[in-house]
Amino acid sequence: MWKVTLKGLLAHKLRLALTGLAIVLGVTFISGTLVLTDTLHNTFDTLFGHIYQKVDFVVRAETAFTSNGQGGGAQRKSIPESVITSVRNTPGVAGAEGNITGVPAQYVAKDGKAITTGGAPNLGLSYDPNPQLSSLTLAEGSPPTTSTEVAMDEGTAQKYGFHPGDRVKILLPGVPETFTISGLVRFGTANNLAGATLAAFDLPTAQVLFDQVGHYNSINILAQPGADKANVQRAIARGLPPGVEVVTGQTVANENTNSINQALSFFSTALLVFAFISLFVGAFTIFNTFSITVGQRTRELALLRIVGASRRQLFRSVLLEAGLLGLVASLVGLGLGVLGALGLEALLKGFGITLPSGPLIFQTRTVIACLVVGIGVTVIAAISPARRAVRIPPVAAISDHQGQATELSTRRLLVGGVFAVAGIALLAVGLTKPAIQLVGLGAVGIFIGIGMLAPTFARPLASVLGRPLAGILGISGRLGRENSMRSPRRTAQTSSALMVGLALVATIAVFGASLSKSATSSVDNAISADYIITAAGNGGGQGGFSNSVAPVAARLPGVTAVSTVYAGQFEFQRSVSSLAAVSADHLAQTVILRMDSGTSAPALAAGELLVDTTVANSKHLSVGSAIPVKFAQTGSSTMRIGGIYKPNALIGSFLVGDSFFLSHFNNPLPIAVLLRTSSGPTITPTVTSGLSAYPNVKIQTRSQFEQSQQAQVNQLLGLVYALLALAVVISLIGIVNTLMLSVFERTHEIGLLRAVGMRRRQIRAMIRSESVIIAVFGALIGIVVGSVLGAALSASLKNQGITDIVIPVPNLVVFLVLAALLGLGAAAWPARRAAKLDVLAAIAAD
Amino acid sequence: MVLTDQASTGTAASPPPAARAIDLVKTYGKGDAVVRALDAINVEFERGRFTAVMGPSGSGKSTLMHCMAGLDTPTSGRTFVGSEEIGLLDDSGLTQMRRDRIGFVFQSFNLVPTLTAGENITLPADLAGAKVDQEWFHYLVEQLGISDRLSHRPTEMSGGQQQRAACARALINRPDLIFADEPTGNLDSNSSAEMLAFLRRSVTEFGQSIVMVTHDPRGAANADRVVFLADGRVEGELVSPTADSVLERMKRLGS
Repeated sequence: MWKVTLKGLLAHKLRLALTGLAIVLGVTFISGTLVLTDTLHNTFDTLFGHIYQKVDFVVRAETAFTSNGQGGGAQRKSIPESVITSVRNTPGVAGAEGNITGVPAQYVAKDGKAITTGGAPNLGLSYDPNPQLSSLTLAEGSPPTTSTEVAMDEGTAQKYGFHPGDRVKILLPGVPETFTISGLVRFGTANNLAGATLAAFDLPTAQVLFDQVGHYNSINILAQPGADKANVQRAIARGLPPGVEVVTGQTVANENTNSINQALSFFSTALLVFAFISLFVGAFTIFNTFSITVGQRTRELALLRIVGASRRQLFRSVLLEAGLLGLVASLVGLGLGVLGALGLEALLKGFGITLPSGPLIFQTRTVIACLVVGIGVTVIAAISPARRAVRIPPVAAISDHQGQATELSTRRLLVGGVFAVAGIALLAVGLTKPAIQLVGLGAVGIFIGIGMLAPTFARPLASVLGRPLAGILGISGRLGRENSMRSPRRTAQTSSALMVGLALVATIAVFGASLSKSATSSVDNAISADYIITAAGNGGGQGGFSNSVAPVAARLPGVTAVSTVYAGQFEFQRSVSSLAAVSADHLAQTVILRMDSGTSAPALAAGELLVDTTVANSKHLSVGSAIPVKFAQTGSSTMRIGGIYKPNALIGSFLVGDSFFLSHFNNPLPIAVLLRTSSGPTITPTVTSGLSAYPNVKIQTRSQFEQSQQAQVNQLLGLVYALLALAVVISLIGIVNTLMLSVFERTHEIGLLRAVGMRRRQIRAMIRSESVIIAVFGALIGIVVGSVLGAALSASLKNQGITDIVIPVPNLVVFLVLAALLGLGAAAWPARRAAKLDVLAAIAAD
Repeated sequence: MVLTDQASTGTAASPPPAARAIDLVKTYGKGDAVVRALDAINVEFERGRFTAVMGPSGSGKSTLMHCMAGLDTPTSGRTFVGSEEIGLLDDSGLTQMRRDRIGFVFQSFNLVPTLTAGENITLPADLAGAKVDQEWFHYLVEQLGISDRLSHRPTEMSGGQQQRAACARALINRPDLIFADEPTGNLDSNSSAEMLAFLRRSVTEFGQSIVMVTHDPRGAANADRVVFLADGRVEGELVSPTADSVLERMKRLGS
């Protein structure tokens, strides 16, 4: 039986290649994602390992809670300089140096534009003159020793043409200043810290620039060689004031690695979701191909039964075929995954997400995961066709009995219906909970259910869709239409992969349109300011900008109100949440807070917490409730709820006054400054020139801000479409495959048509018509299903700020037309093949 | 009814025939459109004998063979291969029986297209996981004159060669009984004659039991006995037939 399976596989190399391609692409995606994220993990591991490899201990302020937000260091209080004396006097300590670390300092390039990195931080820090403790090595020039000198990282210097001795402007938490580059530094041996820029100042300068005079962020400690490190650590700890801790350098490296890894795992999960979507679509293609080939091999399979193959042997044979196919395809996909990783990186770069580079890492886990998933999906997809193969009666080998089981369709309807209903139920539960796994499972159920139900309406729908083709193309169109109608099950199965692909595209389209529309209206409902100033660079709010922007803007003529917005994290009832802060003074002129109960500005001024109705309802809070909260730097306390406001998309769920915020966070940077003017958004030149010293801020009117919010949504959508494109490509491969199989199957018939005078052109038109009908059929169902899913998804996120549900009909029509064109493209090869059939040979074929 | 009882009790003492059918009925369709393809047939095929089944188109001869070989399920009645009642076997029992005790030769040559002739011949043994009797294999391919074709695919062989390979496949497991359904139907007269001669020889020389459905009187003349069917009923038989006597009888059936 092995031999039969193997020989059968080898005899149909083309079919094998086409079917395998669907799996190859899916596995490539998975392998690429894993390789990419492993590579990133490794890059960061090496990096942090490097930074802390020489440091034995780090003394730093304790933190009340840890969060995975960026700039974990900034969440800690600074420690007084006096601590270092006791540390240095501790027996076993060879050296200790205080540091200022991780504060934003952004270079301005020679063209006057702020240098942005995409995702990596712009780090400002103190230069540690002790080479044994410093993570930096000097590559060129000399270290910074005066208050006007800076050491720049070699990577940035090379990229932007800076040399020692050059002057460079740096944007700081305070006023921007110009420095002389004293030298170029490297991080360990790397000339680039995962794409981050680096500005190293001498310690006193850093303390002044970052408002830390008399303080350090941390103290790096070197133990004496041969000292018992545990003892030294205990001794250091005994001399520390309360609220200050000593940890090993390894601990800090691990903490940094972990927080990066958490961010990365979100990223890899997102990519893997798309990889699985591709494989899911691939599974439809495989299922379809195996169904067709089992049908075409009815005689052969029945013959095997006659000469003594048992059902079990046949079942195993079909599954074995699938398994071998899956194995080969997975291996190919695994190899291509390396290219896939590079492709994904390029794709993400195209959408503005820059990743650090390092040697590609290929783990055993990647191999195992790809093989298991690739083979698993293929085999599972082949189970149902294998069961059908087993049901073929032996007598089918000698009679023309095709076993077209119509009695199956009721069972099919029933099972399909159950799948669809269960899917809808899971989806509904998943959306209301919300639980993303249930949503995914529900969507899978709905797709399988609809895939099973589709054959029942394939015939009438194909008939309707084919009518215009029949009208335009005459006999070719009519035959194409008939062909698509004569095997409704095949038409439906072939199009089901495209159905899934387009359903997802339509879901995203509806969701995106709703999000985009909501973003617009939410800005109008959230902010009354005329100008919104945010940090320039990708992703908008990240990083923050100078504290001096707000006072400068307040002095501009025509500006009547200024409000600074801060954001940070705090622990609310034991869960880490985002907290926003605005100034209570100009609240009414800049932010729209529709109060449900309590007061807004007075409560903020009194240092009380405002929450939105969503939180209030879910946690049963009311004005006057006393809630336990925790801040990373100041620890636990209790806050009174001063007011409850209707959801505000830009503020979020928790709001405090700025003075309260500043007293609980260590030197936070504003994420936005809101301006109200006396004459509306008409003083753009004044504001722009007034803030020209800060090239890292973006000044936008409210409508420009709305547009940029929409642009962000659209950019994200573009990325999602690009990732979904693979699923659509795989579904097209499925159509090509089915058409090829159909052409082989109908060799005799096509020969006959040619013999009675059909032209090659007409044959091609016939095959193309069929393909277009199949594609449009799948696309139509997919778009309808996807629109419903998208609307449901948007509706469930009403509280998250998606207030409008928009069905972007023009976009959906474009998708449908695209699907028809893709169908036409998919038919190209099969149509040529059919047209090239030799008439005599075709008629002789049986 | 009386006949049936005689058939079942009459053979009980002696070793059972190679195959027999008792009150075999097979109907197709439902209601008014019902067709009785087999109408209460009682028939026996003896061991070590070559029996031909003849009848005009639609007489039910192929259906009879399918039912008796366990390929098709009768509407009612019982069929036996040796002492084994087919109706009592489940699918794996039927598979076992087809694998070990029955050989098939069909009109269309029914070789697996992806396997070579040699692999096709040993397929039943391979499926059974049994060791191929090499001596028997070589004897068969030698006798059938296809020893130089063993590595060819079916598409690279003539119809006669393909049918001889199918014949070798039917014999490879030394089945109790061979069912041949119009084995010469697609062959030219030379190949037909060779095929029939081989079947005849396998009965005479190594006591093979063969049941052959045919509509060729000259083919039937190679048999020890001819059973005639018409409208799903047995319409008599002829022992030691000649081409002329068979033709004569067929003419009467046809009228």
